Amino acid sequence: MTPTKTALARITERAVPTLVIVAVVLAWELFVRWRGIAAVYLPPPSTIAVYLFRMIADGSIEFNLGVTLLRIFAGFAAAAVTGVTLGVLMGMSRTIARIADPWIAALYPLPKIALIPLLVIWLGTGELNKIVISAITAFFPIVISTYAGIRQTDQGLIKAARDLGANRHQIQLKIVIPAAVPSIFAGLHLGMGVTVILVVAAEMIGSSSQSGMGFLLIQSGQVMETEKVFASLVVLAVVGALIIKLQQWIDRKIAPWTAYRDVN
Amino acid sequence: MDVIVEDVTQVWPGRRGAPVVALDRFSHRFASRRFSCLLGPSGCGKSTLVQIVGGLETASSGRVRIADPVRPSASRPLGADSVMVWQNLNLFPWRSALDNVAFGLEIQGMPKAERHERAMALLGSVGLRGFEGHLPGQLSGGMRQRVALARALILERPIMLMDEPFGALDAQTKIVMQEELLRLFDETPKTIIFVTHAIEEAILLGDEVIVMTARPGRIKEVLTVELPRPRSLEMVNSKAFGALFDRAFHLIREEVMTSMAQQAQALEAR
Repeated sequence: MTPTKTALARITERAVPTLVIVAVVLAWELFVRWRGIAAVYLPPPSTIAVYLFRMIADGSIEFNLGVTLLRIFAGFAAAAVTGVTLGVLMGMSRTIARIADPWIAALYPLPKIALIPLLVIWLGTGELNKIVISAITAFFPIVISTYAGIRQTDQGLIKAARDLGANRHQIQLKIVIPAAVPSIFAGLHLGMGVTVILVVAAEMIGSSSQSGMGFLLIQSGQVMETEKVFASLVVLAVVGALIIKLQQWIDRKIAPWTAYRDVN
Repeated sequence: MDVIVEDVTQVWPGRRGAPVVALDRFSHRFASRRFSCLLGPSGCGKSTLVQIVGGLETASSGRVRIADPVRPSASRPLGADSVMVWQNLNLFPWRSALDNVAFGLEIQGMPKAERHERAMALLGSVGLRGFEGHLPGQLSGGMRQRVALARALILERPIMLMDEPFGALDAQTKIVMQEELLRLFDETPKTIIFVTHAIEEAILLGDEVIVMTARPGRIKEVLTVELPRPRSLEMVNSKAFGALFDRAFHLIREEVMTSMAQQAQALEAR
């Protein structure tokens, strides 16, 4: 009797989150129809779905999403390479850390979105300004997490490596950097999150762009096509969730050991 | 290799300016191929002492010499002939069992095929055949302990420094590991300095038990364990074992009381 019960419990456990989503969507639909709310304020999910399929059919979602994703990955890649590199260098050299520290302290809290007018002046309204703004934003959490990870290496591991004959260089390469991997991943996750935000925001601002999901959102909003706004939001939410899942999957592939904390 | 410790004192800068004397003029000759146990209450500086011997800490004063009894004139640098086994293991969590064990050889630049072959053989001899690809996080506590032991053994250093290596294990696993260590010691005797706060463990494993005082750590008494080798767990019931246990218990009891009083005082002073 007990095994069947636990199996049932497990299925329920898995099904509940999905059921909650379905219930929320259903409640939304019923609420809008019951109160007779105009679609321009709050369209029902069924109408949003119709618009979504229409936008997929005419290719506007694919095109704008593709453009946005390219910008996201370009910005993220630039930030990841420069951020991890500088973070590691800061962790290895006290001089570099001392030089970089005031710049990071001053620039990190600056709202990067405030740089958009400047970047439009310097780089125009083309691709580069959106990639650069997202890269600059993602750079900070990545460099800070990497540096913290390098500095917080378990001293016991360093001592053990030294005892086994490793020299300074070997300790940095074989102990300190691998030990920082969980922190680096955490920084990359934060970086990816802000990259998505900044790219979409940059696409929305000051007609700096004629393409991308941000452009689609602002354009639909300006002509009161609320259904399209919601359809775009749904796409962004789903894609965002997929990016996070993909990142977690890559983490596990590259460093499966991070699943086991505190082995010592 | 003999480990000759002469007047080693270790002083830590304490809080509020009062320096803490961890070790006070500790002198002892740890003889070649002899299993020595350091027994004492927590905070008596026994871990500090093994780290000084291993070249991982620098003593405030005094000195440690590593001497080859065959060639007494040649002095050796600290750390070159010894290897540590740590209480918290300090395994590298991102390396497989095999690559943890092979670490010391990898550092020396030994080719991969060769070091893996040797690490495999050693993993087999500590009963971990088939687990070479596992990460430390995927192994049980006892298995991790074996990996840590193999990682130290692979370097074939004549001196083994063991800092409460079985302290975190459950009682059953601890017994198995003690037997394992006794077997390894009988096969290849080394100079072993084994830190513990378990009286039974110290007598069962050691040729001598160095009972230390509470902080500042000094030698209170050195007990010689005459139990024959190979040792086995049944000897715990022998009369000789009982007598040693009583003696050690009596000595250590006073020191634990002192240590507890010190800790209470430190708490009150806060």
